Amino acid sequence: MVTYNLKKIQLVPGAKDLIDIVLSKTQRKTPTVIHRHYAIARIRQFYMRKVKFAQQTFHDKLAQILEDFPQVDEIHPFYADLLNVLYDRDHYKLALGQVSKAKSLIDNLSKEYLRLLKYGDSLYRCKMLKRAAVGRMCTIVKRLASAFSYLEQVRQHMARLPSIDPHMRCLIIAGYPNVGKSSFMNLITRANVDVQPYPFTTKSLYVGHMDYKYLRWQVIDTPGILDKPLEERNTIEMQSITALAHLRAAVLFFLDPSEHCGYSWEQQMALLYSLEPLFVDKPVIVVCNKTDLSWSNAQRVEEELNALLDNQQEKKGTVSELETNNNKKQQRLTICGWRKMSTLEKTGVIQVRNAACDWLLSQRVESKVRGPRAQSILNRLHVAIPAGVDQNQQEAGELSLCRPFIPESVWKKRQATTTNTAFHTEEEMEREEEDENKQPKQSNVVVLEKDREMAHGGAGVYSSDWNKQYWMRDESWKYDIMPEIIQGHNIMDFVDADIDERLAALEEEEVAREAMMNVDNDEEEQQEGEQALDQETQQRLQRIREKKALLIRGRSKSRNPIGANKMTKAHPKRSEDWKQQWKELGMDESFLQSTTQQIISNRSQSREAKSHSPAPRSSSRSTSTYRWNQTKADAGKGFLNHQQKQKAMRLARKAIRGISKKDRRKGEADRTIYNENPKHLLAGKRKLGKTQRR
Amino acid sequence: MRLEKCYICSSTVYPGHGIQFIRNDAKVFRFCRSKCRKTFHMKRNPRYLKWTKAYRKSHGKEMAVDSTFEFERKRQRIERYDRELVGKTIQAIQKVDAVRTKREKEYYKNRMKQAKKQSQKTAVRELEKGISLIEPDILRVNQAVKAKDAVQQSVAMLDEDRQANDS
Repeated sequence: MVTYNLKKIQLVPGAKDLIDIVLSKTQRKTPTVIHRHYAIARIRQFYMRKVKFAQQTFHDKLAQILEDFPQVDEIHPFYADLLNVLYDRDHYKLALGQVSKAKSLIDNLSKEYLRLLKYGDSLYRCKMLKRAAVGRMCTIVKRLASAFSYLEQVRQHMARLPSIDPHMRCLIIAGYPNVGKSSFMNLITRANVDVQPYPFTTKSLYVGHMDYKYLRWQVIDTPGILDKPLEERNTIEMQSITALAHLRAAVLFFLDPSEHCGYSWEQQMALLYSLEPLFVDKPVIVVCNKTDLSWSNAQRVEEELNALLDNQQEKKGTVSELETNNNKKQQRLTICGWRKMSTLEKTGVIQVRNAACDWLLSQRVESKVRGPRAQSILNRLHVAIPAGVDQNQQEAGELSLCRPFIPESVWKKRQATTTNTAFHTEEEMEREEEDENKQPKQSNVVVLEKDREMAHGGAGVYSSDWNKQYWMRDESWKYDIMPEIIQGHNIMDFVDADIDERLAALEEEEVAREAMMNVDNDEEEQQEGEQALDQETQQRLQRIREKKALLIRGRSKSRNPIGANKMTKAHPKRSEDWKQQWKELGMDESFLQSTTQQIISNRSQSREAKSHSPAPRSSSRSTSTYRWNQTKADAGKGFLNHQQKQKAMRLARKAIRGISKKDRRKGEADRTIYNENPKHLLAGKRKLGKTQRR
Repeated sequence: MRLEKCYICSSTVYPGHGIQFIRNDAKVFRFCRSKCRKTFHMKRNPRYLKWTKAYRKSHGKEMAVDSTFEFERKRQRIERYDRELVGKTIQAIQKVDAVRTKREKEYYKNRMKQAKKQSQKTAVRELEKGISLIEPDILRVNQAVKAKDAVQQSVAMLDEDRQANDS
């Protein structure tokens, strides 16, 4: 469906403005620097781009205009006619045609010049070609100046047209000038149409909206119409005629029997008859306004209008009669009905509106049902009727096809409660309760918990006994307290109807499993007994492990003398310790003696051989192992000799004495917290924040 | 009122303990303590944390599949109270518990079998390889020499005896 967004048409620039826009855009959006010495291909490409861009921009602008303005042939006939009446159809089409022609001219022109530019042999020639192309485009556009100014005016006027939806439910108010059309409009919608006591106050169509039967309706107020031939009507009248001719709507034809509008009753009726061709297939309601004034010919008015009504019935009856009638025009006109009304006193206004709406609605529904779309839906519909429904009842049109089923007992109970009155005093209540206890089956009266609560002191004092209502297999279980948790389990998670069987199955399974396990266990125990280590071997293993641990700790000492553990002595230093250890290992005393002697003698020989050996050592060092000699190689690694190194190490050790291991690794650049417990954070009252955080 | 399981460590959360987190898709997560809650919010997977039940079960440290577990399951449908049934259930719970603990113990024992074998193996190897640490080679050489001497002596004595006999 075509949508009419006449309000959203973009502004149409003047011819001069359009040229300015395009030229400046071309300048801005394309490259601007070109030199003679550039490759000719590049120069051609530069100017071709400019021409192409200018053409494209002109094309876009003109296409936009053509797209925005509605095509007279394509839109709804109501709008087409309205455009014709207001702006002259020919002029409108001509203007748009000019624009369209200019567009194609510009396209062809640019094509031609691009072809020429391809053969441009110098910068100057290319430039001249470009100039000529753009200049010619501008000339074409300049010739559109009058079309543009006309279209701009049309655009401005169109934007102010009421937005009428030609397919919507619609009421059209028509009649002679000054009969009260606009005041009726103001009464039934929220539109604020100007109302003045002179003819032709309303000069164009006005639209108002209202709600009726939860539907949206649009009401169109038309300018007054005079009774004259169509050719002589002016623009204002023609608008009304257009609306009447093309919109499928209910027509409210206003008459003023009091003749205060300045036109006689005969004139008004003549108009009604002359407009008849426009009323085909539309419900027409004749509204006699101004009942507040005296009607001189009230009798005649009623007669004539009733005649019109009868006319309709006759028409329904026989068609042939109608043709033979003399006064065809008068006879052909049919109206749905006529109403009296006064917009001044506001009497009968709503009745008029409702009648008009109802007629239009029924007509629309009828036409829809007759249409092909409705047929396709109706073919698929099937209304199912329950088997139990009485055929007669259905024909009578009763809405409730099925009666609700109410059991006998419920009926009785309902009746009983209606006859009984509510309890109010406590004594009555108790008496009732006693009765209930004695013969609970016989008493029909239901004592509500609410009543009981009221009788025993109200909410907060009396609490209802809900357990009473529990529904259980055994009545005596009602007040049981159900344990929920046992040994870290939820009891409800274990509840199962066949718990006994499942438990029995489990126990069976367990017995079978146990038997299996016993056999396996015996075998395993035998195997284990074979593999187990005896006491002595275990002790030896223990000693090996201890030794290994000591070695590992000793190794760390050799790597980092400062961080060494003083307590570890994997390798004894002194010969006594050596001997002790070897003795512990079970070495023969005599063999031990001989071995140590041998080692010492070997060492003394080597010492003699190397006469440059270091100065005398302390007595304790003299007996130490040959490992000592290995460290001699240290001389020369930044030290003059071994003693110097020894001294340095001693001093280093002394310097770090009393400093914890962790602190030894610290450097000057490391972060330090000088005061870990600052007083200002930890002392005093706590007002803001916590101990940790303030 | 019911006992819930911690989402992270699967420990039992008694009423009034722990905290629960309800995500905006209405899934409820219960935590037994702040450690578990923090772990959850750090998006850690309980399967990869060694201290959780989920880890232990998925890595075969604890019994994960057993018929005793089938007795306990959360019901979506509410059962009507039945005194006899509840009584039977309470007794059943204790029996099932006993069976379960027994099986768990056996499971542990079975699991440890392999480790025991392994430790024995290493012990033997350690003894073979590390014997020099407590009984140095020199000592064993000494003993071997002694033995050799003794043998040589006895051989010599035998030879002497033989010569004496011959003569």
